[in-house]
Amino acid sequence: MPSATLPQKRAFGEASSTRRNIAATPSTATTKKRRIDEPTSSPAQRFKSSQNDSKGRMASSQQKSVFESEVLERLNQDISDLKQNNSEKDQAWERPPIPNDFDPSKHSLCFQAIEAEEGTIGGGQPAVKLFGVTENGNSVLLHVKDFKHYLYVAAPVSFVVEDCLAFKAYLESQMSQNHQYQQVIHNVSLTMRENIYGFQGNVQNPYIKVTVTDPKHINKVRTMIERGEANWKGMWKHDGGIMTYDSIQYLLRFMVDCSIAGMSWVEAPAGAYDLIHMNKQSNCQFEAVISYRELISHKPSGEWSKMAPLRILSFDIECAGRKGIFPEAQHDSVIQIANIVTKYGDKKPFVRNVFCLDTTSPIVATQILEFKDEGKMLAAWRDFLEKVDPDIIIGYNIANFDFPYLLDRAKHLKVHNFEYWSRTHVKSVAKETNFSSKQMGNRDTKATNTNGRLQLDLLQLVQRDHQLRSYTLNSVCAHFLGEQKEDVHHSMITELFEGTPESRRRLALYCLKDAYLPQRLMDKLSCLENYTEMARVTGVPFNFLLARGQQVKFLSQLFRKALEQKLVIPNMRSESSEEQYEGATVIEPTRGYYDVPIATLDFASLYPSIIQAHNLCYTTLIKKKDIERWSLVKDEDYIVTPNGDMFVTTKKRKGLLAQILEELLSARKEAKRELAAETDPFKKAVLNGRQLALKISANSVYGLTGATNGKLPCLEIASSTTAFGRQMIERTKHEVEERYCIKNGYSHDAQVIYGDTDSVMVKFGTKELAEAMKLGEDAANYVSSKFIKPIKLEFEKVYFPYLLINKKRYAGLYWTKPEKYDKMDTKGIETVRRDNCLLVQTVIEKVLRMILIDRDVPGAQEYVKDTIADLLQNRVDMSKLVITKALTKDDYAAKQAHVELAHRMKKRDAGSAPALGDRVAYVMVKGATGSKNFERSEDPIYVLEHNVPIDTKYYLDNQLAKPLGRIFEPILGETKAKSLLTGDHTRAISVAAPKVGGLMKFAKKTQTCMGCKKPLTGKEESQGAVCADDAPRVGELYKKTLDKVSDLEVRFGRLWTQCQRCQGSMHCEVICSSKDCPIFYMRMKAKKDLEDANGELARFDFDQAAIW
Amino acid sequence: MLEARLDTANLFKSAVDAIKDLVQDCNFDCNDSGIALQAMDNSHVALVSMMLKAEAFSPFRCDRNIALGVNLTSLTKVLRAAGRDDTLTLKAEDAPDVLNLVFEATAQDRISEYDLKLMDIDQEHLGIPDTEYAATISMPSAEFKRITTDLMAMSESVTIEATKDGVKFSSTGDIGNGSITLRQHTPVDKPNEAVEIELSESVALTFSLKYLTNFCKAQPLSNQVKLCLSAEVPLMVEYGLEGGSYLRFYLAPKIGDEE
Repeated sequence: MPSATLPQKRAFGEASSTRRNIAATPSTATTKKRRIDEPTSSPAQRFKSSQNDSKGRMASSQQKSVFESEVLERLNQDISDLKQNNSEKDQAWERPPIPNDFDPSKHSLCFQAIEAEEGTIGGGQPAVKLFGVTENGNSVLLHVKDFKHYLYVAAPVSFVVEDCLAFKAYLESQMSQNHQYQQVIHNVSLTMRENIYGFQGNVQNPYIKVTVTDPKHINKVRTMIERGEANWKGMWKHDGGIMTYDSIQYLLRFMVDCSIAGMSWVEAPAGAYDLIHMNKQSNCQFEAVISYRELISHKPSGEWSKMAPLRILSFDIECAGRKGIFPEAQHDSVIQIANIVTKYGDKKPFVRNVFCLDTTSPIVATQILEFKDEGKMLAAWRDFLEKVDPDIIIGYNIANFDFPYLLDRAKHLKVHNFEYWSRTHVKSVAKETNFSSKQMGNRDTKATNTNGRLQLDLLQLVQRDHQLRSYTLNSVCAHFLGEQKEDVHHSMITELFEGTPESRRRLALYCLKDAYLPQRLMDKLSCLENYTEMARVTGVPFNFLLARGQQVKFLSQLFRKALEQKLVIPNMRSESSEEQYEGATVIEPTRGYYDVPIATLDFASLYPSIIQAHNLCYTTLIKKKDIERWSLVKDEDYIVTPNGDMFVTTKKRKGLLAQILEELLSARKEAKRELAAETDPFKKAVLNGRQLALKISANSVYGLTGATNGKLPCLEIASSTTAFGRQMIERTKHEVEERYCIKNGYSHDAQVIYGDTDSVMVKFGTKELAEAMKLGEDAANYVSSKFIKPIKLEFEKVYFPYLLINKKRYAGLYWTKPEKYDKMDTKGIETVRRDNCLLVQTVIEKVLRMILIDRDVPGAQEYVKDTIADLLQNRVDMSKLVITKALTKDDYAAKQAHVELAHRMKKRDAGSAPALGDRVAYVMVKGATGSKNFERSEDPIYVLEHNVPIDTKYYLDNQLAKPLGRIFEPILGETKAKSLLTGDHTRAISVAAPKVGGLMKFAKKTQTCMGCKKPLTGKEESQGAVCADDAPRVGELYKKTLDKVSDLEVRFGRLWTQCQRCQGSMHCEVICSSKDCPIFYMRMKAKKDLEDANGELARFDFDQAAIW
Repeated sequence: MLEARLDTANLFKSAVDAIKDLVQDCNFDCNDSGIALQAMDNSHVALVSMMLKAEAFSPFRCDRNIALGVNLTSLTKVLRAAGRDDTLTLKAEDAPDVLNLVFEATAQDRISEYDLKLMDIDQEHLGIPDTEYAATISMPSAEFKRITTDLMAMSESVTIEATKDGVKFSSTGDIGNGSITLRQHTPVDKPNEAVEIELSESVALTFSLKYLTNFCKAQPLSNQVKLCLSAEVPLMVEYGLEGGSYLRFYLAPKIGDEE
């Protein structure tokens, strides 16, 4: 049996004995209970069973995990309540059937469109596929036909309406030269439009609208025109390219023109659509076709802001990897797939099952589907997927692991038709993609298409939206849900799988939990709601939000607005220029520790309000010569921004951006108002998601005007915005300091000590919190009145006390009301950074807490000294010393600690070594004199196992010294702050003797006397505990050692039970090896310490003095 | 109470100088037989063992076992203030916080006194058991120093090969290779320049030159150095002092092609 031969690297210590125990006892108990737990169909019976169950639990001990007994069993009970008022049956896979009386001529087809894609219908006719779900939970595919893609070209002066036909023929002939023989141009017409870029004097100009027969031709036509190959009769006077307008992808064009937003409701009115029964392109319950002219789109507000009962599948797979190698689809089988299906709006999942290979003992309230053959299991899972027909598939790291793995595995096993996961007859294929945006950085991912079904990979989502130290499911859950799960190392999985039905059951539970947690995470983070609202607000399809950057969202909004106002958007060649404009200003901080209240004044949505106030927009940008042409008056008709660009005022034209922003901000106000009044938690989540989406959209407008490699950059707007911002900060500083001074009858001279981008910190000088707040309020109103609406300076908070370390680095106690502080607020201080160890974070946090909240500076100093002493004497938990860094690429020019370690680990054991993209955890160990830092990084577990001495000096000098210095210097002064790091407390150290190193094989440990540390070299002494001089103290020393052993025993026992609790079972051995868990390191250390202490104790057995 | 006086500070200075690059903090174990020090370097490849017997001092007094935890970098700083020929007196209480050092320049009647703060160092006491070595080579310490320095230019490691013909130090590096062979010879008039080889079996082992050059900093201690080798055990480099005192270094051999 392989498990017997495997080295027990991660199965620790007393495992052997414990394991034998569990194997024997609980199996009988569970088999007894199994009969009771079997999911039964009648509610009455189920009710009885859950009663029985709770009794049974008390009798047959707590061998069930918490997850089982608390989550799953409760689910079972709740489901029966749920059944009464719900269309879903527990563990019933199929969707509700189509209503019997459904008649396309009488009933309209109204559904929430979750996805849209380009496609064809009826033999090549272009159409847009809208996938969605009706209010009854029926799935819909609606083909929208007849919509034609088009572009605009500015008409030359001599071009008249009559030329349209001729021009059409000309274009057609030009295209056929490019080997296009079918009809390409659908229509050419002349319309009046206005260019968005630059102020046009409010005059519309003639534009030629070229409509094509098939969207796939649009780019060829566009390129031809832009290259100047369609310069009909030489009408365009200038040589070279001709600018085209409105370059936007077909799908978005369609959504813009039909005013359909992503995730919004659309309706095909009764009689206007045809149901398709033959040659369906999908497995949706309804499939219909309609012309775009008939389609009704509902604006997502009021009644239509509801959500359809979307089916959400959360799943996780387990693979039986080989020892030391990460699972590979060619070799390692998929052994379990856990699925949880929830209907949106329900609190509980209605399908819970695990597809298992081999026999597996039952789990309460969960279907276990056992298979002998892996191929059959995969095929069955595929059928399950089709039957359950989820609208959204979620999971953790499914995009990069589960999806591609399943596909590869099925291919390897030659499972027929496995790859049809989509709603259409399109195979799902995993593709390598590279996502790169300025905001998110570069990321290599895999993408699997599931046309018609949305995907949400919680890992990608969390990585996108949250900055965390570690992104394992375990630590993410610990962070957001406040609960841990056991982290089974992938090499343990095979061992469990090859065990008994009981051990496979354990694995199934683990797998089920992994499938359940993403669902919980999604609910907790309101991901679905937030992204839905973002799609609705910006109008793009849901999938775009994850797969595309910021720009497409903004463009969608811009095109929608432009359509209303008959504006056309030039197709600017995107060129990445290095041109930089000046960013925000930072008022030089007056560093120090302030023991008086510091009021903070913030500009509310600074950049959006500047754009609104000064009417900055593409449509209002004006050139010098145009000013002369229309003889405009400065400050009356146009303004000059601080950096010299010119924009017309609202008197001439109201900017498009200003309008968009105004709408966004007022919509946000509305949403916030509704939010306050709403009580239903689901609706609340939706509204909160909306106001967030609106806020983000409003703030991203400025950014996109400054993105030089974007679609529509306008540096004039971006740089004018920041210039106004800088001016306003300076002005605020000036106004505040001018007004609040002794000269004007105030008790102190106010001083602006710091300012950044959109906020200023003011020291009014008063010691009274309430007074500072009053002054802050007053100042905010006073300064606001000096600026153009809607720019508003808000008084938000007071910091008291306040520690200003440097630019973007400060800490303070945050007060919004004079009675009680709200929280401790820190910026740019090591508490939030990830590139240091936990020790720094905890120490800094604690120190700040002591200084700011308790006002106990001497106490904080003591605390720092104690911590440093502990560190030097090796008493600090190793989990606190672990540094993690993401391994992003293999060959950095400069050698880095974590990269070098990854290399070394690969040499030792290729399987457990971190792969590209993982976060590498390491500690710094002592090395030879003069060795570089990168040579001294080491795997924490290796360090634990081999007792490698930690380089405490590194942690003191490179990790703690700087942040502590920064905090204490302003308070204590330089010399005293330095003494924290070099005082007497640094004089006690401990040096561990490692188990590795060239000399350790040969060295022999000489015991030292426990009393005086003298080496015991004499023959009688050498095995003993004390030297002859200290023989009288033997009793005392024995007691001391014994106490130490019992303390450690208690400690280890506690840690062990802690881990058992976390894994949720008191009878199973702990197999967790979570590198993020402090308990794990503590447990490992406690185990080692205990072994050592027992060794010490054993020495007394041989001591001459102790034998009497 | 410890009180130990050395006639010339130079001995102690050189010893500390040779150790300080291997070990940063360590305990000086003082008892009635003398002052001993045993510590391993941070990368656990080399071990220093120093024994200054009571006879090397005049006078020497140590009533109880005392462990003096010293930061060698700090100690070097203090010792820098001592002249080569000053007398050096070490003093400490029974449970000491400080080590008191007195330097006396007898010629100038100048007395300087320093207190060095001690550390509490909790470290395991490791030693290399005595072994019968296959080859024992005695050679002038200056010669050994020269060999290591010369070969350092070629490579990071040196192979020491002891045969009945003599002892050969050889290095192969990127720029080429080099070797130095010493044959046994015993000039009667200059005993300090003698090269003696005692051999029971031929051995060849490879060592890191970086460490060997470090050991050579102890060269002022003694005119002769003793290298003891056996297959697959650490090399011992011993600088013998008068009266049975010594400073020994142990260095693990390099195995295979590990760096």
